[in-house]
Amino acid sequence: MKVGFIGLGVMGRPMALHLQAAGHELHAWARRPQSFAGLPAIVHATPAELGAACEVVFTVITSSADVEGVALGEQGLIHGMAAGSVLVDCSTIASDVARRIAGRLAEKGIHMLDAPVSGGVQGAIDATLAIMAGGDAAVLERVRPLLDCLGKRIVHVGPNGAGQVAKACNQMIMVAAIQAVAEAMRLAQASGVDCAKVKQALSGGSAASKVLDVMGQRMVERNFSAGIEARLHHKDFGLVLEAARKSAVPVPLTASVAQQLNALMAMGMGRDDTASLLRVLEPEPEPRPH
Amino acid sequence: MKIGFIGLGIMGRPMALNLLKGGHQVTVWARRAESMQPLLDAGATGAASPAEVACGQELVISMVADAPDVAEVMRGVASAGMPGLVAVDMSTIAPAAARRIGEDLAAAGVDFIDAPVSGGEVGAIAGTLSIMAGGSVAGFSRAQPAFECMGKNIVHVGASGAGQVTKAANQIVTGMGVLAVAEAMAFASKNGVDRSKVREALLGGFAYSKILENHGQRMLDRNFKPGFKSWMHEKDLNIVMQTAHELGLCLPGSAATAQMFNAMVGSGYGEEDSIAVLKLLESLSGQQ
Repeated sequence: MKVGFIGLGVMGRPMALHLQAAGHELHAWARRPQSFAGLPAIVHATPAELGAACEVVFTVITSSADVEGVALGEQGLIHGMAAGSVLVDCSTIASDVARRIAGRLAEKGIHMLDAPVSGGVQGAIDATLAIMAGGDAAVLERVRPLLDCLGKRIVHVGPNGAGQVAKACNQMIMVAAIQAVAEAMRLAQASGVDCAKVKQALSGGSAASKVLDVMGQRMVERNFSAGIEARLHHKDFGLVLEAARKSAVPVPLTASVAQQLNALMAMGMGRDDTASLLRVLEPEPEPRPH
Repeated sequence: MKIGFIGLGIMGRPMALNLLKGGHQVTVWARRAESMQPLLDAGATGAASPAEVACGQELVISMVADAPDVAEVMRGVASAGMPGLVAVDMSTIAPAAARRIGEDLAAAGVDFIDAPVSGGEVGAIAGTLSIMAGGSVAGFSRAQPAFECMGKNIVHVGASGAGQVTKAANQIVTGMGVLAVAEAMAFASKNGVDRSKVREALLGGFAYSKILENHGQRMLDRNFKPGFKSWMHEKDLNIVMQTAHELGLCLPGSAATAQMFNAMVGSGYGEEDSIAVLKLLESLSGQQ
């Protein structure tokens, strides 16, 4: 199949390569040409041009505004994609924006799935991502063979926007859990107890979780180089809080964790891993200049 | 002075009336025509659009709901083509939005002042609002005679956006203040102690505040009529939290408070006064 790919960052690149390895013809567009380095793909000058050449287009980009620009902008996909073709947006964006884009594309007969992923860079490389899809179930079935190249658990959550709602829920649980692990590690550390042993002990009991396993290990090793950059979780929490506000749903813990993420950003750790929430809790060696 | 006034709601109406009382010539516009009638009856001139309000004025004032509304009416004001005009927005909006609107108006030769207020409907009627202004000194001075008809404590805080930063800071203090007083009330009664006596005792010490005195009394009276509606306080705290998010600023107390106000809106207390947060605390603690 002719498959287009936009967004060749740490997540998008391995995903695109999996699709190609499965025998699909890979088409690409990127804002910066250096993104294509080492990627044998058919390169297009605009999203519209790429859209015209493909049956299915994947996007994995950062913000709601970026997805909207690529999909609906002056040279956007909407001006190239044929009726019946499918846009699969794997980015994490606001659910109302996802619904709006899907609505505009539908006017031209173009299908869209919001299909955000969870599992991080390792999940993208291992093709074990969890994919949470919103949109028409029949459309999902059409592109399922492609999604099978990228992930293990592919769930149809509901209509357009539902995938992004599920992703927001995922981020709430995951980052709150990272904060919980960070606080536990900090308490152990401050009490003079070996963090590695604490983590090992907890892993066998009721507190066992993937976050304790993966992020706890990063904290024990003090390995703060990014898997997923913390600034992206900070961005996601902005979306979650905005959505909670619009629905008038109180989310006290999420709001509290968001403040720790704000502190993390202010400390200049936005490009490090979110395991850096541990460092936000640690005393500073000396006062920081204002 | 010839003054245009846009937005004649709970706050805007008495503010515009006070300008008329102060002897100014006032031209008004409001989205709903019926809001204009009380002002027309009091001697104001009606206009058909924000652009028409701006025509021939020395000063234009807006008092509307949110940033998109301010941007929209100010676009109309700018389109009147009145270089040298001073435009004052007294609504509560995000500092970043105020700065953006200020830049847009500067391009049209209009001097923009952000001048949000504190003091509520009571202060607006009595002409005793606190006014916190940001923008040029020259623009502030031009608006000063109008400010004096509407408010008492009038401070030029700094450059464009500084007024809105001050208002946001005000909402942090008042939001957490109301929640703190409500928590103290709930704490007293759950412990079987008379809350009115607790309030009375605290008024003499370091916990004294205007909020303990005024809002505390209304909590005792269970008078939840606004005052200041809790959905508006929620909106203002959202400005605080969004600004904190953009700047990388850790505000744990404001975040917790904002969520309580969010819950108030969800629980149907949005149209009641902020002190209805007491009812939320009571239901969370089984004190119905």
